[in-house]
Amino acid sequence: MLKVLRYLLIGLLVVLAGFPVYWMATTALSLNSELYGTGQVIWPQLQNLPELWRELGQVPIGLWLFNTLLIAAGGTVLSLTLGSLAGYALSRFRFHGKGLVGFLLFMTQVVPEALILVPLYAMFITFGLLNSLIGLVLANVGFSLPVACFVLKGAMDAVPYEIEESAIIDNCPRFSVLTMIILPLIMPSIAAAAVVAFFAGWNEFLFASTFLMDRGNWPASVGLASFVGQYETPMSAVMGAALVFSLPAVVFFLLIQRKIVAGLTAGAVKG
Amino acid sequence: MPALTFKNVSKNFGDHSVIKAFNADIHDGEFLVLLGPSGCGKSTLLRMIAGLSDITSGDLRFDGQIANDWEPKRRGVAFVFQTYALYPHMTVRENIAFPLIMDAFRKWYHLPVVNIIARHRLMRRSDIAERTLKMARQLELEPLLDRRPASLSGGQRQRVALARALVRDPSLYLLDEPLSNLDAKLRTQMRSEISALHNKVGKTFVYVTHDQVEAMTMASRIIIMDKGVVQQVDTPDNVYDNPANTFVAKFIGSPPMNLIPASVRPSGLMLSGEIAVEHREALPSRREAMFGIRPEKLELKPVGEGRLPARVAVIERLGAETVIGCRFITGKDDAGELLIEQDLVFVRVSGNPKMQIGEACSLDYRSEDVLWFDVDTGQRLS
Repeated sequence: MLKVLRYLLIGLLVVLAGFPVYWMATTALSLNSELYGTGQVIWPQLQNLPELWRELGQVPIGLWLFNTLLIAAGGTVLSLTLGSLAGYALSRFRFHGKGLVGFLLFMTQVVPEALILVPLYAMFITFGLLNSLIGLVLANVGFSLPVACFVLKGAMDAVPYEIEESAIIDNCPRFSVLTMIILPLIMPSIAAAAVVAFFAGWNEFLFASTFLMDRGNWPASVGLASFVGQYETPMSAVMGAALVFSLPAVVFFLLIQRKIVAGLTAGAVKG
Repeated sequence: MPALTFKNVSKNFGDHSVIKAFNADIHDGEFLVLLGPSGCGKSTLLRMIAGLSDITSGDLRFDGQIANDWEPKRRGVAFVFQTYALYPHMTVRENIAFPLIMDAFRKWYHLPVVNIIARHRLMRRSDIAERTLKMARQLELEPLLDRRPASLSGGQRQRVALARALVRDPSLYLLDEPLSNLDAKLRTQMRSEISALHNKVGKTFVYVTHDQVEAMTMASRIIIMDKGVVQQVDTPDNVYDNPANTFVAKFIGSPPMNLIPASVRPSGLMLSGEIAVEHREALPSRREAMFGIRPEKLELKPVGEGRLPARVAVIERLGAETVIGCRFITGKDDAGELLIEQDLVFVRVSGNPKMQIGEACSLDYRSEDVLWFDVDTGQRLS
């Protein structure tokens, strides 16, 4: 009986989580006339696929997706690289102002993005980063780096110090201790931080819509928003683009979730 | 192969002093054991030798050169950690080969990604592969070479840690209680193997343990420590036969040396304030002293034949020998009252005597087997 209830609950959660995807697919494969008419289309109409393809072909959705990928991947790589170095320093070294550094990193999460939009805009003009994907990556890293740093620092704290000392005794330089010993041991946390940083970049909209004027530089999020017209919004195209926009992120998550497992340090030390 | 010299070496953690003015010389090629109870500072001392802990004050010299600030790499040591400290993401083979691979690494091999390729290539290099295999065979790890530490037992992990330290050719071997997690049989085997290895390589070994059997069987010299202070530095025989103080006398030997408060009287000795003993040779020049005698130096005799009347309180039959714990019987006891001493007086006899608990007996000794200690300081009296 308890098992049945458990499966019922799981089923309910699956329906709740999957409903938006279903709705998106159904809407994407419906004609606008069907959407604005009476009666609800229940199942995705696959015969409308060529029509959806034609509508999406009118916008450079491939380029936008590529831009999104650059922003998300660039931000992820930069956040993880800098985050692992900063996390290691915060985890293993004692220095003046360590607490302050932690506090300041935390404060970046408290500041709303909209609040720093204008100062950032001024800075981007000064540094020539306006309308550039690199600028957008840097702006995003400002927010995802502290998260990555905290996540990785926490994971490094849990790595027994003796493993590191053992590597030092074995003639392993400090940098290699980090890259060859510590980082492989905290792979689950790196994967978790990567998910956070990647999705922060993938879903980026505010900075992108403000700093990127050139249509060719837009990420998919801004491109998606451009479908909304003054008099008309092609809902099926919007949902179709949104579906295409979601798929790479889902694939990324499915690939990386296998890394998010615990217990990699098992067997390292006694106890 | 460096000779090590400690000159007034101290280590403080905040206000807490862990090692106080440590002075010692570790000779080239010797097997030195640091022995003491938990928390006495012996592991800290080993870490200071390895360069893993800073020295608060004093000098540590390697071959006469002050090495206080030397990096671990420059010291050329191998270290076996008490907690194994294995690399859990590497196989046993990779763990053992890691020091060899690091020695073979060029500077640019340390670049990320490059290090992965370089490591895989070096793992296949014939000299590294052979040495790894040889060490694994020596420690009976060959069937486990492709397994990860998480799937090994405690003893197997400890052997991997030992193999990783021994596979290199360092000038100094530092071992921090390396056998603490092995079962009795394997411990005995590894004791012999480490001793054999020391004889074979002829390098300096510094070995930390709280197990006196390990210390007595393996050491060429022992440093006994308590609360960060050196109690005695000597050969195992001398530490046992001529302890410098009551701490050493109690710490070395199982059961430990019998220490009985004694008053020197013109007529002889008064032990524990109750038992008058006829004893006039080799007495200390002071009135009160601590009478020390090893259990095997006491003789167990039938009632009336020895100078110390006693009653059996504990019997530990060990097969080849028997340890008997006795309580002295005073004159009052003859009237039926038993004076209970705080500590038992232990006697070690060979074989398996047919004694019963509660049975009366007597103990005796030779005057030259008695060691005298100061009652207040615990120091040995000459």
